[in-house]
Amino acid sequence: MLLRPCLAWSLRGCVRQVRHNSSYPLERFSDLARRPSSQHQIYQSLSTDPYVNLSIEHFLLENAPADSSVLFLYINRPCVVIGRNQNPWLETDLRVLENDRRFNSGRHDAAVYVRRRSGGGAVFHDEGNLNYSVISPRTTFTRDKHAEMVVRALHRVGAVNTSVNERHDIVMKSPATGPASDEPKFRKVSGSAFKLTRHRALHHGTCLLDSPNIYDLGRFLRSPARGYIQARGVDSVRSPVGNVSSALADSYFSMQTVMDNIVEEFASLYQVHADVVRRARRALAGEPDLYAGNSWVMGTVSDAHGEQEPDIRKGIAELRSLEWKYTQTPQFTFSTYPTEDDPRERPPLPATLPSSTRVFLRLKHGAIIESNVSLSEDGAVASDQASHMQDILNGQKLHEITTERWTEMLRQGLSDFSDVDDALLQELAEYLGDLLGGQ
Amino acid sequence: MSSIARSIRPFASRALAQKPFTCTPRAAPAFRFPRGTRSFSQSPFVRVKKYTESHEWIELAEGSNTAKIGITNYAAHSLGDVVFVELPEVDLEVGAGEPVGAVESVKSASDVLSPVAGKVIRGNTVLEDNAKTINASPEGEGWIAEIEVADVAALDALLDEAAYNETLDQ
Repeated sequence: MLLRPCLAWSLRGCVRQVRHNSSYPLERFSDLARRPSSQHQIYQSLSTDPYVNLSIEHFLLENAPADSSVLFLYINRPCVVIGRNQNPWLETDLRVLENDRRFNSGRHDAAVYVRRRSGGGAVFHDEGNLNYSVISPRTTFTRDKHAEMVVRALHRVGAVNTSVNERHDIVMKSPATGPASDEPKFRKVSGSAFKLTRHRALHHGTCLLDSPNIYDLGRFLRSPARGYIQARGVDSVRSPVGNVSSALADSYFSMQTVMDNIVEEFASLYQVHADVVRRARRALAGEPDLYAGNSWVMGTVSDAHGEQEPDIRKGIAELRSLEWKYTQTPQFTFSTYPTEDDPRERPPLPATLPSSTRVFLRLKHGAIIESNVSLSEDGAVASDQASHMQDILNGQKLHEITTERWTEMLRQGLSDFSDVDDALLQELAEYLGDLLGGQ
Repeated sequence: MSSIARSIRPFASRALAQKPFTCTPRAAPAFRFPRGTRSFSQSPFVRVKKYTESHEWIELAEGSNTAKIGITNYAAHSLGDVVFVELPEVDLEVGAGEPVGAVESVKSASDVLSPVAGKVIRGNTVLEDNAKTINASPEGEGWIAEIEVADVAALDALLDEAAYNETLDQ
């Protein structure tokens, strides 16, 4: 039963409104999220910072009561989010993303690169992409359950051609196409990933509702080094993508409508009381407030919550750290020539480099542990060059190597050899820097 | 705990559909004390293998304080095809219940928790090249970490095979 909102917190658990601008509300979020009786929790984030949103989500995974069900909705500023066990040099084009590897590197309006804590592949987010996240007990969890929930919400807004596929993703069936059409039969509108803990299961998914970048996602997810890298870890499965909006003729469609419908479907899946759902609709319509009853919490959360709660702040710092973003990368090799382990034919070298140029790097935890870098066509000289370079490269962290640093190291290792001129070393440095995020 | 057991059962269905679930327990120890009467800390020459409610196993090497840790047959089948295993760093100090590695299967990251406190001696590098070894032999070649156990008596508090199997039946 809903009572009138009361301002003072009461242990009897009367319904109350936590005012965002009063003296205590911010820490109330973490208290309410942790409260053992908070069985149903529904939040929408006002933050568009992916590090903040993923860390609030992680906080809810770790801290909401073990038998609670939590729905968290958020929209991120443009970013590429890779899976926990993926490789940024392979899954993204670091050249078009905000450069987090150097201080004062200029562009701050570019998409950011993020590694999440859950498994799965790389995805692109922007303001037309809604992220939904459901945290529930492992006892009743299945991998399709919450994707099905979102499909029911999409059906309610009119996207009746959506369904869950065998990869636990949501796809949209294309309208009937002629036999000569290139149009794929299904376009992916939502990708799923999971994080499982002892008692809890987190399912989060993207949902491309109306992305303005829909025809351009490949630009962010296509690495210039793909043809050279062989990586352990998890590969992304590439699929044609589409916007849900493309299937809807009518103009009623809005992000808020979809969110309201997801809340309704979540409420029906987890038997949240109808009064609470009505309250949620009002609460999520933009008022920066938290509401709570005996057994539920709902409302909006923001950047301020991230700054306020130490556990969330810690999570943000971890996700932003270059250790997490780069050195967490599973072992991989980069090679400009076919090797026994990776015999693919390689893209041609730039015309300015001699055809005898060889660059092989093996990296563990993002640092070089083995290399073979040489320019000479004479086998003995090449092996000498490679051994000089190995002494210099060993232990270097790839994300710290700028194009200038490549130049320095190549000079240090190779400029004593005859036939190696400085212009050549600079060419090679630029070639490697361009492929491997040396900006 | 039954809740954990039930929790990963739903995704077992796919793995089960692909290949029959053959639970092949490791060769039984040469001899056994009656259940509930042995004290491992006082019997260093008995091979000790224990389990956790979160589906890890730990097996003490004979007459030593080193032990291998992995995930159970049940967990491996339930999680589905393992595509990547995060191994712990050598010398990492872990507390009981803290991550000693992680596995990824079907877009899901799951931590592997150390059943007892200890220090990592090595991770199983076989899994670096072949993560699927976990599915093929979760309680044998697919072990994840070897640790030096801080206090061997801590194993006494864990589940034995029969007690663990009971958690699966609930």
